[in-house]
Amino acid sequence: MRLIGWLTGEDKVREFEAVALVHLDALFRSALRLTQNRAEAEDIVQDTWLRAFRSFHRFDPGTNCRAWLFTILRNAFLTRRRRANQEAVGELVVSEEAWQSATDTDTLIRHPEDVLLRSVVHGDVDRALRELPIVHREVVILADLEGLTYREIAQVVACPIGTVMSRLSRGRAQLRRRLGHLAREHGYAKEPE
Amino acid sequence: MNCVEFEAQLHAYVDGELEPTAMTVANAHLGQCPECRNRVARERRFRQVLRGQPRDSASVELRAELRARVRRAARVVAIRLWLVGAAAAAVVLLAVSLWPGLRPGPSLIAELASKHSVYAEIEQPAEFRSDDPRAVEAWFRERAGLHVTVSDYSPSGIRLVGGRVAEAGDRKAAYVLYEKGHTLMSVFMVPASASQAALTGTRMSYRGHDYVTLQRKGYRTVAWTDGQAVFGLVSMLSYDALLECADRLRLDRAARLGA
Repeated sequence: MRLIGWLTGEDKVREFEAVALVHLDALFRSALRLTQNRAEAEDIVQDTWLRAFRSFHRFDPGTNCRAWLFTILRNAFLTRRRRANQEAVGELVVSEEAWQSATDTDTLIRHPEDVLLRSVVHGDVDRALRELPIVHREVVILADLEGLTYREIAQVVACPIGTVMSRLSRGRAQLRRRLGHLAREHGYAKEPE
Repeated sequence: MNCVEFEAQLHAYVDGELEPTAMTVANAHLGQCPECRNRVARERRFRQVLRGQPRDSASVELRAELRARVRRAARVVAIRLWLVGAAAAAVVLLAVSLWPGLRPGPSLIAELASKHSVYAEIEQPAEFRSDDPRAVEAWFRERAGLHVTVSDYSPSGIRLVGGRVAEAGDRKAAYVLYEKGHTLMSVFMVPASASQAALTGTRMSYRGHDYVTLQRKGYRTVAWTDGQAVFGLVSMLSYDALLECADRLRLDRAARLGA
């Protein structure tokens, strides 16, 4: 039996699935939030899964499997976006400074935080995320929705931890601002005077 | 530290990513600044809203498709290997065995212990709060794919608080958090191969098992390895208490693996 498992590659598949399957839901959720499109998210997860399996021999057991898988997911996502010539390429080069102005100076100071947060309704977070540039969207998804550490995120997005921190800080500020606008649209919070 | 300096570290503080010394400085500032305490509370609430978002799962169809696709890919690889022959297979094996493995830093235990000193200073150190050992184990599996054994120390007055996932030497570390009164005790587990798990510290023996111990800044650490993972307990509690708990965990784990 063992020989058959080895001959057909089934052993390798089992070994791969034993470490990767626990992360599948997180990968799918993140793909969904990155793309905001179920079919595209499923395609990206399939690409990711195959790429991960093919390069599994390079994965060192005991090291961070989740960060490794998310790195592959991100590459699969960016490759598709580039191929489709969609938002990614333009948005990836958005300068950090362009978003400096987008800090939490308006909405949150004028609106009590609790009112704002209580008024976040189902779907708001996804709507607000959609409007974030990808460089900010991805770090917020990884940190706040999937709970990756700064070090893991730095590995996934291939940049220094300092950059992760500044993107995260701006991404969160942007997200709060958008959530504030949406709350006002629902009429939960008043227009700023 | 003033408010401007604190604000620059606000996110790292709330995310539990500050170094132990920076954490102490930040806490000292928070102790005397209600405004910054509000900022922290506000950030925490914001995180809760985000973490409370619906958690979609991959559909049954997608799972089936993935299962099928990796198996097809594996068969193609297997057939190719046979066509190219045993020589090629040998080259592949050689390449795999030569791939550089990650080695831990010189003091994996010291790193793990220092994280505890950070958690001991946070108000709510657990990422996942529960006093149910099975629920905490399930959370580690789902959150990080870590198969952790959580012992029940409540007969000794040590209460389970919850769990937290951290990183040590490029790998995931599970921290099971307990409290005896106001004293925090962490039980950590890091997957590591035998060669990666070489532990440095003072040797101690208890009920026929060997442990490596370390004392730093009032925190005592008792660690050991089973060849697949490094385990340890950190706390201000006495070595006697820690060794007793370590022994219990070993027994629980052996019973679990044997079952």
